[in-house]
Amino acid sequence: MNIDFERISELITKGQIEQLQEQTNQAIETGTEPAILLNKGLLPGMDKVGQLWRNGDMFMPEVLRSAKAMSKAMDILRPHLSKDDMGSAGKMVLGTVAGDLHDIGKDLAGMMFEGAGYEVLNIGIDQPNEAFVNAAIEHKPDVLGMSALLTTTMPRMGEVINSLKESGIRDEMAVIIGGAPVTKEFADEIGADLYAPNAGSAVELTKQYFAQNNS
Amino acid sequence: MQISVMPKTNLTMSTRTNYSIQQTPHFQILSDNQKERIYNGMLRTLQYTGANVHHEGARELFKKAGCKVDGIKVFFPSEVITNALATVPPVTEVFPWNGDESKKITIEKDRSYFGPGPTPPNFIDPDTLERRPYIRKDASTVARVCDALPNMGYVQSLGSISDVSNGLADVYEFADMVRNTTTPIMSWSFTRNGCRDIHRMAIAMAGGEEEFRHRPNYIFYGEPISPLVSDFHAIDKCMYCAENRIPQVYSPCAIGGGTVPATHAGQLVVALSESMVGVIASQLISPGTSVIIGGVQSILDMRNSIYSYGAPELSLLSAAHTEVVHYCGLPMYSQSGCTDTKKMDIQSAMEAALSINAAMMSGANFVHDNGYTESGMTGDIFQAVMADELIGMARIIEAGIEVNEETLAVDVIKNVGSGGHYLYEDHTMKWFRKHWQPTLMDRNSYESWQEKGQKTMKDRIIEKTRNLIDNYEGPNNEVPENADQEIEKILQEAEVRIKNDPES
Ligand code: B1M
Repeated sequence: MNIDFERISELITKGQIEQLQEQTNQAIETGTEPAILLNKGLLPGMDKVGQLWRNGDMFMPEVLRSAKAMSKAMDILRPHLSKDDMGSAGKMVLGTVAGDLHDIGKDLAGMMFEGAGYEVLNIGIDQPNEAFVNAAIEHKPDVLGMSALLTTTMPRMGEVINSLKESGIRDEMAVIIGGAPVTKEFADEIGADLYAPNAGSAVELTKQYFAQNNS
Repeated sequence: MQISVMPKTNLTMSTRTNYSIQQTPHFQILSDNQKERIYNGMLRTLQYTGANVHHEGARELFKKAGCKVDGIKVFFPSEVITNALATVPPVTEVFPWNGDESKKITIEKDRSYFGPGPTPPNFIDPDTLERRPYIRKDASTVARVCDALPNMGYVQSLGSISDVSNGLADVYEFADMVRNTTTPIMSWSFTRNGCRDIHRMAIAMAGGEEEFRHRPNYIFYGEPISPLVSDFHAIDKCMYCAENRIPQVYSPCAIGGGTVPATHAGQLVVALSESMVGVIASQLISPGTSVIIGGVQSILDMRNSIYSYGAPELSLLSAAHTEVVHYCGLPMYSQSGCTDTKKMDIQSAMEAALSINAAMMSGANFVHDNGYTESGMTGDIFQAVMADELIGMARIIEAGIEVNEETLAVDVIKNVGSGGHYLYEDHTMKWFRKHWQPTLMDRNSYESWQEKGQKTMKDRIIEKTRNLIDNYEGPNNEVPENADQEIEKILQEAEVRIKNDPES
C-alpha cells in the first residue's frame, strides 16, 4: 500500500490524534518501514509545526496538541524502532525540585519533548533530590530535566547534579534545567549541560546538543 | 533632612465606592444572574469535584464540619460554604503601629486600598536602573518610599530578599519593613514558623498580644494552588492566621488556559473555589476572623508562554471577580499597576494606567502589584511611584460628581452672567482646590518646561523616587526601643531555627 506521508504530516500539524493513530497503525500493519514513517511523515510534520510556531502562525495549545499527536504515534512506533532510528529522541526524566510546587512550566517543557518523540517520565512537583537520582538509575534517561521557579529552590538542581556524579551516572545523560528565575550563568555554575529559557527552545537546544556531542 | 510629603488622607487612601446615593461611578461587568451562576459553579465544583487538601488537620476539621473526605480530596456541601460565608466579618480594622489614624485600614466592602506586590526575585536598582537580585536593603527602601506615597494604602515588599539565610527572606523582610513604615504591611511567609516569627514582631510593635487582638497591625497573604489544591503550607499558614485572628488573604494565581479554563467564567469558578477552601478553614477555626479573597487573575500568553501581567484580560477578570467576591459578601484582593515590559517605558505606563483605572472603577478593596514589571519577575519602585500618581488620578474619576444646590451653583452662574469669569468668585475659592494636582504629570507651558530642564516623565519619576529614597526618613526613629530589641531577638532565633532545620 502506498502511504501518504504528506497526509501523516498534516495530521500532526492539525493535531488530529485519533486519525493519526489509525494511520500509523495501518502503515505498520501494511509493512511500512517504521523508520521511514518516522522520517518522512512524523518528523516533517513536527518540523512544520516548529516553523509555524516560530512564525507566530501557531499558538502554544495548538503546538501542544500536535506534540500530543506525535507522542501518541511514537507510542505505536517505538517498539518497532531501533536506537539508531530514534536519533537523539530517547527517554527523559522530568520534575520540579523539592520545595517547589510550580508545575505548569515543567509540564509545557515535558509536552514539547514528547512532541519531539521523547518518552517523558514526568515525576511531578516537589520531588526530593533522591527521586531524581533514583528515577535516573532506574530509567536510564538520555535527558534529565529539572524545573525550579523559586530562587530558594534553585540550589536543589545543583545538589541533584552532584548526587548524579556521586552515583557515577552523571555522564550518561544530558541535564537540562529551566524555570523563570533560572539563568544560563546558573546552569553553568552548577554544571548543567543545558539551560532553556522556554519550553520550545528546550527541545531545540537539546537536539543541537546531541548533534554536537554525538558527532 | 526631613522632606515634606503629601499626607495620606481619606481622599487619597480610600473613598467610599458606589456610595448609596450613587455618588461614585462604577462599572459593572456581570449581571446578577451571571454572578449567581458563577457562584453556583463554585458550589457545584466544591461539592462534586472537591479540592485536594494536603493537610491532615485541615481535612479533619472539614470532616467534622460535614464534608466528605476521600483520601486527600475534600468535598464541601453547600451549607458548609454558606455557613462559612455567614461568619466572615463585614468590617475589620487594621491599625498603623504608631496610632496614625489617617493610615488606618478598614476592610469593608466599599473601601479600596492600593499597594505594591510581594516577592519577585529581582529589583530595579534605584541607582543604576538595572535589574539585579532583590537584596535586604530594598525592603526598607520600598517600605519608606511607600510610607511617603499618598495613594499607597498598604505595603508589600516588591521582592524576596536574596542575601539572607535561605528560608528567612520572609522574616527579614517584615522586620525591616515594619520599622520603616507605619502604613500597614501585607506580609507572607514560607511556613507556619515564618508566620509565627512575623506575628511575634507584629505583637512587639502593637505592644502585646492583647493589644494586637484589639488593634491588628498587618494582613497576611497566602496562596492555594490552581487547579483546586491547598498545599500543606498554604492551608497551614491560613489556619495559623485564623487561630491568631490575623486578617488574611487566601487567593490563587490562576493562569487562564494553563491552570484554569481559558474561558473567563470558568477561571472565576475555579479561582473562587480554591479561595473558598481557605475561607471555610478560617471560619471553622475562628468564626469572625477576617479573610479576603481574589488573587492574580490573568491569562497564559499562548505565544510566549508567560503569565501576562499587562493583559487587558487581567483587568476584565479582576473586575468580574470583584463582583463575584462581593456577591459572596467578601472583600476582594485585586491587581493593577503591573506590566510585562522589562524597563520603564511607554508600555509600562499604558498597562498600569489601564489596569489601575479598571481596578478603581471595579470597587475592589485591596489592589496589589502596583510596581510589578517583567510579568511579576521584577519589582520596580519607580513603577510604584508612577502608579501612585495614576491611582490619585483614578480616585478623582471614582469620586464622581457631587450634585446639589451648592455644586449646581445656579446663583453663582446668575451672578457672573454671560461673559466675564469665575476667578474672583468665593465659590471658586472654595472649590478649586478639589481639582487634582499632579506631582509627576507635566502641565508646564513649553517655555517653562524648557527652562526647567526639558524633563520627560521618565526623568521626573526617577527624580521623585530618588528624592524620596535619599531624603524621606520614615518612622524608623519612632520605633519603640523594646520593640526594636524584640525584633532583633526574633531574627536571631529564626537564624537558629533555620540552621537546625533548613526546611522549617
Ligand atoms: C527541564 O527543562 C525545562 C525547560 C524550560 C522550563 C522548565 C524546564 N521549566 C520552566 N521552563 C520554561 O519554560 C516555560 C514555558 O516556556 C516557562 O515556565 P514558567 O513556569 O516560568 O512559566 C509558566 C508557563 C507560566 N508561569 C507560571 O506558571 C508561574 C507564574 C507565577 C505568578 C507563580 C504562580 C502561578 C504560582 N506561585 Co509562585 N508564581 C510565580 C510566578 C511569577 C512568574 N512570572 O513566573 C513566582 C515564581 N512565585 C513566587 C513565590 C514567592 C511563590 N509562589 C508560590 C506559589 C504559587 C502558586 C502555587 C500560587 C502558583 C503556581 C500554580 C501552579 N499550578 O504551578 C509560593 C511558593 C510555593 C512553593 N513552595 O512552590 C510563593 C512562595 C508565594 C507564597 N507567598 O506562598 C515568586 C518567586 C520569588 C523568588 N524569589 O523566587 C514568583 C516570581 C512570583 C512573584 N512575583 O512573587 C519557562 O520558565
